[in-house]
This record gives sequence, C-alpha cells and structure tokens, in this order.
Amino acid sequence: MQRHVRFAAPLAAVALILAACSGTGNGNNASGGSAGSGKKVTIGVDLPLSGGEAPNGEPTVKGVQLAVKEANANGGVGGYQIELSIKDDAVNGVHNPDQGATNVTELVSNENVIAMVGPYNSNVGAAEIPITAPAGLLQCSPANTAISLTKPDAEGKLLRGDNKVSYVRVAASDDFQGPALAVYLHDILKKNTVFVVDDTETYGKGLADEFVKKFEELGGTVTGRQGVPNSDGSADYTSVLTAAKGDNPEAVMYGGVTTTGGGKLRNQMADVGMGDLPYIGGDGIVDGSAQTDGSYLNLAGENAANSFGSVAAIHDIPDPEGFANKYKTEYNEDPGAYSAPAYACTQIILKALEASASGATDMKDLRAKVRAYVADGGNSFDTVLGPVSFDENGDTSQKIISMYKADTSAGDWVFDQQIDLSQK
Amino acid sequence: MTIQDDAERRDLSSGDRMPGGLAPVRGFFEAHRSISVIVGMALVGLALPLVVMLPPFSTFQAGAAWMNNFTLAGVYILLALGLNIVVGLAGLLDLGYAAFFAIGSYTYAFGASPFSGLHIPFWPMLLIGALMAAIFGVLLGAPTLRLRGDYLAIVTLGFGEIVPIVFKNSDTYTRGTNGISSLYPPDLLGYRFSTIEILPFYIVMLLLVTLAMILIYRLQESRLGRSWMAIREDELAAASNGINTVTTKLLAFALGASTAGLAGVFSSAKLTFTGPDQFLFTVSFTVLAMVVLGGMGNIWGVALGAFILYMIQSVLLKGLNQFFDAVPVPILSDIDFVQYQFLLYGLALVSMMLLRPEGLFPSKRRRRELHTAAPGDDAAATPAQEAGGALQ
Amino acid sequence: MELSVLVQQFFNALTLGSIYALIALGYTMVYGIIELINFAHGDVFMVGAFTAFWLLTVPLALHGSVDNPVLLAGILLLIFTVVMVFMGIVGVVIERFAYRPLRNAPRLAPLLTAIGVSFILQNIIQVVFGSSPRRTPQIFGNDARFDLLGASISFRGVFIFLLALGLIFALQAFVGRTRLGRAMRSTAQDREAAQLMGVNINRTIAITFFIGSALAGAGGVVYGLHFGQIGFTIGFSAGLKAFTAAVLGGIGNTTGAALGGFFIGFVEVYSGQFGLFRWSEALVFAVLILVLVFRPSGLLGQPLTERA
Repeated sequence: MQRHVRFAAPLAAVALILAACSGTGNGNNASGGSAGSGKKVTIGVDLPLSGGEAPNGEPTVKGVQLAVKEANANGGVGGYQIELSIKDDAVNGVHNPDQGATNVTELVSNENVIAMVGPYNSNVGAAEIPITAPAGLLQCSPANTAISLTKPDAEGKLLRGDNKVSYVRVAASDDFQGPALAVYLHDILKKNTVFVVDDTETYGKGLADEFVKKFEELGGTVTGRQGVPNSDGSADYTSVLTAAKGDNPEAVMYGGVTTTGGGKLRNQMADVGMGDLPYIGGDGIVDGSAQTDGSYLNLAGENAANSFGSVAAIHDIPDPEGFANKYKTEYNEDPGAYSAPAYACTQIILKALEASASGATDMKDLRAKVRAYVADGGNSFDTVLGPVSFDENGDTSQKIISMYKADTSAGDWVFDQQIDLSQK
Repeated sequence: MTIQDDAERRDLSSGDRMPGGLAPVRGFFEAHRSISVIVGMALVGLALPLVVMLPPFSTFQAGAAWMNNFTLAGVYILLALGLNIVVGLAGLLDLGYAAFFAIGSYTYAFGASPFSGLHIPFWPMLLIGALMAAIFGVLLGAPTLRLRGDYLAIVTLGFGEIVPIVFKNSDTYTRGTNGISSLYPPDLLGYRFSTIEILPFYIVMLLLVTLAMILIYRLQESRLGRSWMAIREDELAAASNGINTVTTKLLAFALGASTAGLAGVFSSAKLTFTGPDQFLFTVSFTVLAMVVLGGMGNIWGVALGAFILYMIQSVLLKGLNQFFDAVPVPILSDIDFVQYQFLLYGLALVSMMLLRPEGLFPSKRRRRELHTAAPGDDAAATPAQEAGGALQ
Repeated sequence: MELSVLVQQFFNALTLGSIYALIALGYTMVYGIIELINFAHGDVFMVGAFTAFWLLTVPLALHGSVDNPVLLAGILLLIFTVVMVFMGIVGVVIERFAYRPLRNAPRLAPLLTAIGVSFILQNIIQVVFGSSPRRTPQIFGNDARFDLLGASISFRGVFIFLLALGLIFALQAFVGRTRLGRAMRSTAQDREAAQLMGVNINRTIAITFFIGSALAGAGGVVYGLHFGQIGFTIGFSAGLKAFTAAVLGGIGNTTGAALGGFFIGFVEVYSGQFGLFRWSEALVFAVLILVLVFRPSGLLGQPLTERA
C-alpha cells in the first residue's frame, strides 16, 4: 500500500503532493548517504516508469534500488560505492523505443556506467541492443521474454550483429515457459482440450504461441484462441468466453499479465459459468499475494481457486520468503512480478563488479570486464532467483520451471512441482 | 531562386516573423525565404552541438544523448511542419496524423530489412515512404474531405486508431506485436551509418528539416498556399472565387501525409526497428499540440513549438529528478517527478492554452483573422449547426 | 449459432452497450452545445468509477455481495446519488476553469485543454489510488440470475440495462419538456440568439456539463459493478468509443447517442463471438468512417444542409 493523500481540486493537488511526498521520495539517489567516501561507479536503469506503465516499472526499479542500497550499506562492492542512473522510457505514459534508444545512448556515453538493468518491454530492447552491443555495455533485462532478442530471427539476423553478447536476461524466454505450461496442463492436470486467450502483447502472445505449439504436439486440442487487446484494462471478455463455452474446453490458458486482464478474465469466466475450469498462465499472473493491490490473486479473489501459474526459476532457493520480507520492510508493499528478477539482475552485475574491480585499469576496462564476466557461461551467480548462468546467447541456462497453485484461503500461491525442460 | 516583390506577397509573408532580428535584416530575410531558412538552420545546427558542451547542459546528460534528442526532435519538427500544412494552412483538423508516420516507417521496414529480403537504399526510400503516405492520404481524404470541420477530425481519429491495429494484427506481413527489427541503416558513398554514431543522422535531419521548411514556405506563398488559406478562412467564398476546394484540400492532406512519411522513414532507419506501439493516439495528439502551441500557420513558430514540446517531454520532465538531486531545493528535491509527469504536462497544456490560446508565435495573418472575426465564429460553420442543430 | 448463445450474446451486448450509451450522452450534449470534443469526458467517467469504489470500500466497508434486496437497493441509491452529484460538480468545475475562458479562443485551444484536463485527472487518480488495477466489491451476488431461452441472465445485467434506459428517458424528458431543456436546445442552435432571448448562456452550459458528467459518473459506477475491476487508464478508450457512438447516432442527438452506444456494444460482442475480438476496435472505427462517408449527419441526425 502506498501512502496516499486525498484531494479534490487539481490546484490544491500540487501543494498536497509536495507535502505528501517529502516523506516518501524515491528519486535517483537510491544509493543513499555514503556520499563523499571512496570511488563510485554507476549502474544504469532503463524502465517505463510513468503514466499507465508505472505499475510495471515502479516495483521493478525498487528491486534494483533495494539491492544497491544493501550493497552500499555493506561497504560497497570491490571498493566502489554504487550509484544509480535511472531512466524512464515511457513518453506520455507509453513505453517508447525512441526514448529507450536515447536513454541507452546517454548511459553508453557516461563512462562511469559499468552495466545497466532493463529494459522492460521487448520492443524497447530491440531498439536498445543495437546501441549497447557495439559499446559493450552489459544489459540485464529482468522481464524481456521475446525469443528474437537473443536468438537469430527467421532470416538468421542477430540484433547484436557481430558483437559479443552484451545483453542477458534472467526471465526465461517464451520457448521455455510456454511448453512447461503445456506439459503441466496436459500430462499432470490431464486436460486434453483448452481455450487460449492472449493479450496481443509481445509477452502474452509469445507465451500463448509456444504453449499452443507444445500442447498440440502432446496430443491435446486447442478448442479456440482469441487475442484480446487490453492494455488499458477496459476490455470485456464475456463475449469471447460465451463463444468459447460452446466448445466445452476442459481448461483456459491465458497468455498475458495481470494488468492486461489476467484477473478480469478469471472473474468473467465465473460470470459466464466457466468458473470451475482450471485456469493456467505464466509468471505474468504469479505476481504476489492477495494482499497486494492489483495482483492476480487480489483481483480474482475467490474466483482464483483452481488457478495455476509458472515461475521461470527453481523453487528450491535458499530463502524464498527472505526477499519478499526485505522488500516489504523497505517499501511497505508487496514486491511486483519483476521486483525479484530486477534484484537478481543487480546481484549479477555486482558480483561481476566484485570479480573485475581489482584487475581493471580504468572505467572503460571495468565496463568491458563486467560484460565479459557476466557473458561467460562458466560463471554462476547466486541470486534471489537461485543459481543463474548464461548460455552463448545470453539466455539464462536455468531450464527449470516451477508450477504454483492458487490457494484462496491463504490468499497466496503454493508451490506444486518443478518441470525440468532440460530433459525434454 | 528569386521571389517577386509584389505587394500582396509581402503582405502575406510579413505575417511570419523571424524570431528576433533587426528591421533591415528582417526585411531582407522576409524577401528571401529560402536563404533565411538556410542561414537560420545552419546557425541553429551549429549552435546546438556547441551549446550542449557547456554547463549546465553538459552536466545534465552526455553530448551524444543531447544529439540523439535533437535528432529525434527533428522527427517531431518534420511531423509538426507536415501537420501544419493540414491544420495550420488549410484549416483541416487531423487527429490521426500518426497513421501516416506509421505508414512511412513500415514502408522503410518493408523496403530495407532482412524480414522482407529487400534492401532498397535509404535515399530513394525517403521518397518512396513519402509517396506511400501521400497515397494513403489521398485514399483517406478523397471520400472524406467533403465532410466539414470536426467530422473530418473524427474520421482521421478513426483512421489513426485503425492503422496501428492493422499493423499489429497482421502477423504474417508485419511480424505483429514484435515489430520488424534489424532494419538496414542508411549508406552514403560507402559510409555506413550506425546506431551509435549520431552526428551523421543529425546532419541528415538538419538537411531534411531545412528542405521541408523551404518547400513549405514556397508552397505557402504559391497560388496553392493562398488557396489553402482562402479555404481556411471561408470555404464557400473560396469556392465561389473559382478555387477547386476538393483538389486543394486533397493536396494539403497528401503533402501533410508525405511529410509524415518522410519522418517515418528517417525514424525507423535511425532506430533500425519499427513496431505498432510507436504510433498510438498520443503521437497524433503530441504533434497537434506542437502545432497549436507553436502558433498555427507560422512555420518557424511550429518548428520551435515542436522543439520545445519535445524537449519538455523527453528531457525536462525526465530530468527534473536529476536536476533537483543536483541542486538541493527543500521539498522539491524529495519529489519523485517521474510520477507526476502527466500532471505537470497536463497543467502545462491547460495553462498555456488559457494564457495564450493562439500559440507562442502566431502568424500575424492568423492573429488578425482571430481578432477581426466575431467572437466564437471560427472558420467553418459547425456540423451541429449545419445539421439543423443541436439537442433533439 | 445456437439460440441460447445468441440470446446470451444479445444480453452481453445490451449490458456493455449501456455503459457506452451513458458516456455517449454526455459527449453528445457537450458537443451539441459548445462544439467541443471533450476528451476529458472519458476520464470523468473513470473518476466516477473510482468515487464509487471509494464509497463502497471506505465508508461502507463492503467487500462481498449484498444479498438483502432492500439493503442492496438502498446502497445502490446512495452510491448513484452521491457519485452523480459529485461528478456533476466536477464537470462544472472543469468547464468553469478550463473551457469557459476559451469559449472565444481558436477552436483547437479547448481541444488541447481537454486533453490536458484528461492527463490531470488520470494522474490525480493514479497518485491517490495507485497505478495498479483495483478490485471493486461485487455487491450483486453472482448467483442472482435466471434462465431465458437457455441463456443465463444476471440480475446485475438487467439492472444495468434498465438503469441506462431510465436515465436516457429521463434525459429526453428533461431536454424536451422542461424550461432548462429548452434553454439548452436554443443555446445549442444559436448561442447569440438564445442570449438575446434572455437565456443565461453560462448557466445553461454549466447545467449541460453537470448533467453530462453526472451521467458519465453513473456509467463509472455501472462499470465497477459490472466488471469488478477498475484502473486509472480505463477512461480514454471507453471515452473514444463513446464519442464514436455519439457521432454514429448523429452528434447532438441524445437518442442517437444512446443507440450508437448499444451499436458499439453489439459490434464488440459479436466480433468476440466470431473470433475477431482483436479487430473489434478497428471494426468500430471502420463502421464510423463508413457511416460518416455515406451519411455524414450520423444515423439519426438530420441531413447536412448546405451552408448559405
């Protein structure tokens, strides 16, 4: 929960905002009070932070800020205090590849920037990688899943061109998570027919595409599929569901995130009498407990029963509750879907900094060494998501997907089982 | 290029003042539009990279980022100049202008990417993109331009909504929501532009803006330009004076669209990427705000309005945090301005319109119109009144 | 298509159309009287939805369904009254400070101001209620439904449709029969002549904004009741569709706006039925363009007369 001020008129609002925020400001100086002592390096951040994109970017940037704050409180990393340079790639409230390109141009030309976290949106990534790759600036994206960002496209072209890998991501690309959902629904929940809804966005559509491919390969039947664009949350699913109901699917799969309709779809399933069917989605709906405003479990309430979601990480991490608790203590709210991945990205960069700091001759060299260290498949990083290392494309080599089931009485997701895709 | 010194033309052009300047110098530049544009743009083009090397600009962000901003501002200047033909000169309200930007952008993606397998060089693509946008402008305009006033606005609004949806949903032909990436950057005499070298793009953009301004000035002062303004002021009177209003309006629409197409080609070639989310209503609206804010009908004013508004959106609002972190001001330094961008932007729009509804640099002619016209009586009669009126 | 599905979808379309119709009424009234495309109107609707959300969750502290019909009726009456009056006042304030000073300004100035106001409203709601979507209490139980020709009809949907119908007829009666309504019509037709006839223009326009915004507020309450989820971004596209509805019906024509709203509801629902939902918005706008090209005055508007 955020601290809120209430007011009626726009003009009064300004004055109140000034007053209300003096206590909660979270500007660029997340690094905190250790200024003045010792050497400094900067980690760049590029996320969509304003307007309709705020629910995506805000909790994500807080993940980065938390990691940096802890590192600085422990005396810094490799003799450096860490600063952040936070960029917003939303213009008029919509993520904007042009703005993303400007932001990374700024980060690339700032020699104190040794690496960056972001972006959030795959199309912003497509505009940024051609700039960061030749500059050798490491980018760690907490959220991008589009396959084309790291792997050659149908024409064999790589976004990074002939340059070495400088873009890595901790989110599993769609070709892992989608098949895992298909395996779980078909082989474990034993459902043979499914109706698929996607939100027509890069993540949701990609996830649904890969799900459908695998589900049909396993012998299942997709009774129907519809794209429902819902970036502003105003779509009405009843007509789509009423039409789907006639085909009697045994389950509904949703490719998308909660802000583009994950919870609303589930509620409207109940409205049209499909509320008892199992509902399965990716990490876009596994976004916190029912106490978090706007999370899937919060919005779907009682209707969330019989929902299943995947998280692209092994469940068996050292301290699963630790991160959520730390985050809650710091910000007085539950972490968002990508808070932990952003925290993990920052951990990875800091580990690379620690390993490279002593051998680096100057900042330019340090940036190059950090990139090389992270991209080296032999190095493993202990993160809040579990151990992570990157393959030759910069994708996480983690091929285990954890499945969770919604528990409406506890108001939280409960771990069910892991699906290991490395054997498939 | 000589411009005849006839009295009427002087009267027309005197409406568009150069910002600043001494009277005799101004006289010369008003008589020689093209020279004034070339000199003006050369000065601006040289000054901008130098200014950002100085504090406080240099401390704010790196020179390369500034140059990137200026280049993208150029894209918006092109867009605003094009929309100015439609809205400012011809008086047609277009609320879906981003559609033509999208068409130009996708034209380049189809013409020069591994996705399509074609590699048509950038320079002819500029023309092809402009042409494609113009064709769509004519296709949309031909059946709809006979509609008056706000109905045209609504049709264009609808068109502006449809175009990105079509690009997004036609997966096979546009790679859908993922957009088309790895577009080929421009080549010139063996030199290949690259996404990390901004300067060549900046120079090309300067040239494009200069060219567009010269052409639009010449258009504005031509017979066609006078017809546009005549239609804007009184369509019926213009028609009875022998102006073919449909063709004239169609030309305004097509030329406006082609400028957006040009901007689209440049922008996607610079970004090496194009996708459907880049052309939503906010773009159309931003460009319209630039035109109105700068002062409709005044070419330099519109260009300046576009530059200022782009800088507010992309640099100022994003940089407030950084600024107040560096310059400690009690209270202000504790605010996270990113959260209030919309509020600040909204307040800026409302207050600017309340204080100066004719724009920052209105053309003299336009201002005269507004002040001699009866209150509330705008160029065209309103559809509601034409429709026999109002609440039923 | 089976009959039961047809009936069900018909009913779905009526419910969705009711919401668009309620927003469209305000659009058409404001456009009819001051020829302003009030882009902030969709956000007035959104603020109405949040006002209802606040009333239900904070003072009333409701979280689930209310099963006692008398209590439910009382709560609905209270919510609708408070939200409609409050949003009416918000509308009047916006008109007074953002539009009235620009009444004689160039045509585009109030259009941009309206968009500015829309940004301001969105940002205020975002700051006050947070940027993630919020769950609104479902005060109608989901089991409250009956069967009709094999389709399952919810009382909630019936209530929404009847409410919209009631408000539409009340507005008709107000505009057509009362003295204030006559003042509104005359102001819309010819502002100066109306003024000469002794109509208080400022007051008439303010009343138009009050009623239009109150109806949008009602639309906001209905939206929350129906979808159970609201967010600060829902206003823009709903407003755009409602405006389309107003134009389709013949701008300035309240019956037309209502019918336009239902029409858009039908286009959306049946594009969902036929697997074309992702094209629904494009379909809506394509229909709009076609209607304007072939019948520029809208479906119910009077034919365009040549200006003399």
